[in-house]
Amino acid sequence: VDPDRELVEAAAGGSREAFDELVRRHQTAIVSLALVLTSGRGDPEDIAQEVFVRAWRSLHTFRGDSLFRTWLHRVTINVVRTSQTRRGRLMRVFGSFDGEEGPPDQPSGEEPMDTVLARRQVIDSALAALPEDLRTAVTLRDLQGLDYKEIADVLGVSVGTVESRIFRARQKLKPLLAPLLRGR
Amino acid sequence: MKDRRAMDFDDDQRLVSSVLASRPAPDVSPGFLARVNARIDAARDEGWFGLTDFRVWTLRLAPAAAALALIALLWPGTSSAVARTAPSPSTIAAPAAPAPQRFMPSSASDWQRDVTANALLEAALRGSGEGRAR
Repeated sequence: VDPDRELVEAAAGGSREAFDELVRRHQTAIVSLALVLTSGRGDPEDIAQEVFVRAWRSLHTFRGDSLFRTWLHRVTINVVRTSQTRRGRLMRVFGSFDGEEGPPDQPSGEEPMDTVLARRQVIDSALAALPEDLRTAVTLRDLQGLDYKEIADVLGVSVGTVESRIFRARQKLKPLLAPLLRGR
Repeated sequence: MKDRRAMDFDDDQRLVSSVLASRPAPDVSPGFLARVNARIDAARDEGWFGLTDFRVWTLRLAPAAAALALIALLWPGTSSAVARTAPSPSTIAAPAAPAPQRFMPSSASDWQRDVTANALLEAALRGSGEGRAR
């Protein structure tokens, strides 16, 4: 049973209050997903806002075949891809943007690893080193908590492909996450 | 029973998975929801702005134009007013029979078979004289 079902139905009927509640429930997950998928290039909050705007506009097309969360993740991936395509075109025309953050830097050995920021930087940096298909699959599984079937729905591939991508992604991540694995 | 290598793989997979799951969620700025709502409203306003597109206008005004045309046709007094200001097609197509004229216009005499050369010359001279008199 979709825990968002009642809110989704109300929002599809035009209730902005219901939609606001859906935004509150999912905003952190969507910003987090956008942050990882863009690898620090672009504004994840801006992308997340665009996701919710599109969700509001297309809510009537959501038939409830999947969880609302799954559908929202699919919208996010589409928005990120569109944004990256547009950004790629601009980069080809104008070169790199001033002030662009780029992939997160690996923190130096002197930084305390127990800080929240440092931990996130190591993980984001490791994820940014993965090919896009592996990064998306492992992010949806280990960061977003989607199950394999949901991920297959979001990505439009088979469950077997999802399993393979996640397995390979974790293999590649192991050496990159070494600073965080030592104490475990 | 799984061999040692497969178990190591499983352990590695679980370890990496647990590290990823421990990634701290980013802080979402307090005004996030307000900005989403502002963008939804802005997108709606852009929809109204689209009315400046002439294609939208022509399509949406078609029923209004049809209604105006219908009102113009059916409005009492409209047709009589038109009749007062402009001649009806029948008036133009079928002019009243010409009254007998005392003088034949020179141009009309050109098309009569039985006109003689002298009569034609006389009519032409009289016609030019009439023009000067006016």
